[in-house]
Amino acid sequence: MNNLSLLMDGFATILTWNHLMIMVIGVMLGMLVGVLPGLGAPNGVSLLLPLTFTMDPVSAIILLSCMYWGALFGGSTTSILFNIPGEPSSVATTFDGYPMARNGEATRALTLAFMSAGLGALAGVVMITLLANWVAQFGLKFSSPEYFAVYFLAFCSFIGMSSSAPSKTLVSMMLGLAFATVGMDSVSGGLRLTFGIPDLVKGISFLVAVMGLFGIAELMVTTEEGLSFNGIKSRIRIKDILRTMAELPRYWVSLVRSILIGIWMGITPAGPTAASFMSHGLAKRFSRHPERFGKGEPNGIVSPEAADHSAGTSALLPMLALGVPGSATAAVMMGGLMIWGLTPGPMLFVTRPDFVWGLIASMYLGNVVAVILVLATVPLYASILRVPFAIIGPVIVAVIFTGVYQVANSTFDFWLLLFFALLGYLFKKLDYPVAPLVLTMVLGHRAEEAFRQSMVMSDGSLTVFWSNSLVTTIMGLGVLMLVWPLISKLVGLRGWRQRLHRQKPQTHEPSTPDSRH
Amino acid sequence: MTHNGISRYTMEIATALLTGAIGMAICYGAWQVGTGWTPSGPDSGYFPFWIGILIVAGSLVNLLRTVIGHRHKDETFLDAARLRSLARFTLPIIGFAIVSLLLGLYVGTTLYVLFAMRLQGHYAWWKSLASGIAISICFYLLFELVFQVPLLKGPLEHAFGIY
Repeated sequence: MNNLSLLMDGFATILTWNHLMIMVIGVMLGMLVGVLPGLGAPNGVSLLLPLTFTMDPVSAIILLSCMYWGALFGGSTTSILFNIPGEPSSVATTFDGYPMARNGEATRALTLAFMSAGLGALAGVVMITLLANWVAQFGLKFSSPEYFAVYFLAFCSFIGMSSSAPSKTLVSMMLGLAFATVGMDSVSGGLRLTFGIPDLVKGISFLVAVMGLFGIAELMVTTEEGLSFNGIKSRIRIKDILRTMAELPRYWVSLVRSILIGIWMGITPAGPTAASFMSHGLAKRFSRHPERFGKGEPNGIVSPEAADHSAGTSALLPMLALGVPGSATAAVMMGGLMIWGLTPGPMLFVTRPDFVWGLIASMYLGNVVAVILVLATVPLYASILRVPFAIIGPVIVAVIFTGVYQVANSTFDFWLLLFFALLGYLFKKLDYPVAPLVLTMVLGHRAEEAFRQSMVMSDGSLTVFWSNSLVTTIMGLGVLMLVWPLISKLVGLRGWRQRLHRQKPQTHEPSTPDSRH
Repeated sequence: MTHNGISRYTMEIATALLTGAIGMAICYGAWQVGTGWTPSGPDSGYFPFWIGILIVAGSLVNLLRTVIGHRHKDETFLDAARLRSLARFTLPIIGFAIVSLLLGLYVGTTLYVLFAMRLQGHYAWWKSLASGIAISICFYLLFELVFQVPLLKGPLEHAFGIY
């Protein structure tokens, strides 16, 4: 099989001591940002990105992607030991992970989480290996209108799938697109939206936005809530690890279901957070003992972890093959690719197969390295959280400021950082989604270019987006996604009425899932 | 305003107005460079103009949803105690940005860590100062020597001949 031989070439590229070292460093740094409150995967990758400008792209992507895996694992560690999710996507792990650890089974909870996470990630990489070339081949058929349609579909899925109000998602997403247009217009070469401020000529970097929105804003929310760590002491014993590994096959149903959910939600831009919540919910719904959930049920740990990691990994497929990232971190990495002079998308498979398959091979190896490292170093990282927040917080802020300065050596970016911090703080507290803003900020230029080229092709007529069956199908899916909240509301309302009808004798109707906002 | 601080209702309205204002600024900026059709396709401002319109429209929906639906009227956004701890965290950051502009990131980092530790953790002066200096030295070693990326420097570094 062609893909398999390409994968072997990829392994040949990455199997050097140098790259293995980079993997270990990436995973360790990733676990650090995953464990620290306020620093997550998107922010960590943004901080590291300026330091990779001088590296060769293969080493750079290995460093960043391994950091991503490490951050995902670090996030689960704090969820289980401290009941504090280090990442939004590991919130669902706290539901059963922390109770199990509190019952004195910390090692079992951690091993279950890491092993199912590793399996989830592995399934995601296998899927990428099998589908990458095929998707890229498909992507080669695309011209500007199809590309714009794919971006349109991604944007619409955000509105349709988001748990926030559609109008809030819209505002967040469009702000990202608007910030991306500031500065030099890449088509005409002229300046726009600079409002006479010379510092805006270079544009607004998505890295600064990520560090404000995800970094400082997160810390602001954390400080405000007041941090109290009630950590559970964890001694990791090999015997417990092996015993837990032996019981893992018992949860295969949950594993398979969660991996499928994760892969689907990772490829479509719903992302790892939604995937982990959904698969925890479904595990509970299909369980014969739903009452055990929330009290340390193993299926309640296995499900969100497998879904989280398979979604996190799968998010890289659309980024690589089509140039549409499936999560905020994938978006930041895609921005990195463009800074290194690579164009994500189907042509990358033709022009730089060594890079693409090196990355895919590193995903196999990186996840294995991550599982081993995370099990070996859990006590070390858990001790970091015992350092008081009054020391850790300022250090993180200082690191973020140095990171912002390195993006463009501009002090004006400090003010942009504070602006994004304020915006992120307001958005977080008022339930505006933040990830869409980052995604559209990275995609903005490409989406606009695709739109303008399509308009040139059609002499300004919007019918170009309905001109052939391929573009019509993608646009149609987009519109369907856009009206999805309405459809589900209608369907949900009907179902609710039916249930009300059936339960007529009862006057009190328990709140349905649809009544949540 | 609720009896114990700022209500979420107020902040929902304020945020909708803020995003709406940004949207209008984008529309205005786009209109300045031209939103029409040129011989080479859509003008520079065409795409941002419609994005701006969508931001304004979305903000308007958020505003009306809050005001007409009387949403979040009884929810507290921020009470006095939370505001204080937030201010203790945020004000030193703003100070950090200003000091760094004038004196460079190394001096800024030292002073920031010093004051942040004093304000938030009530650590002793000497402990806070020592931590600040230690972190600055770590940054110097890591960025200037290991990664060879220069950070912003001010008059103090110049006086010592460090560039």
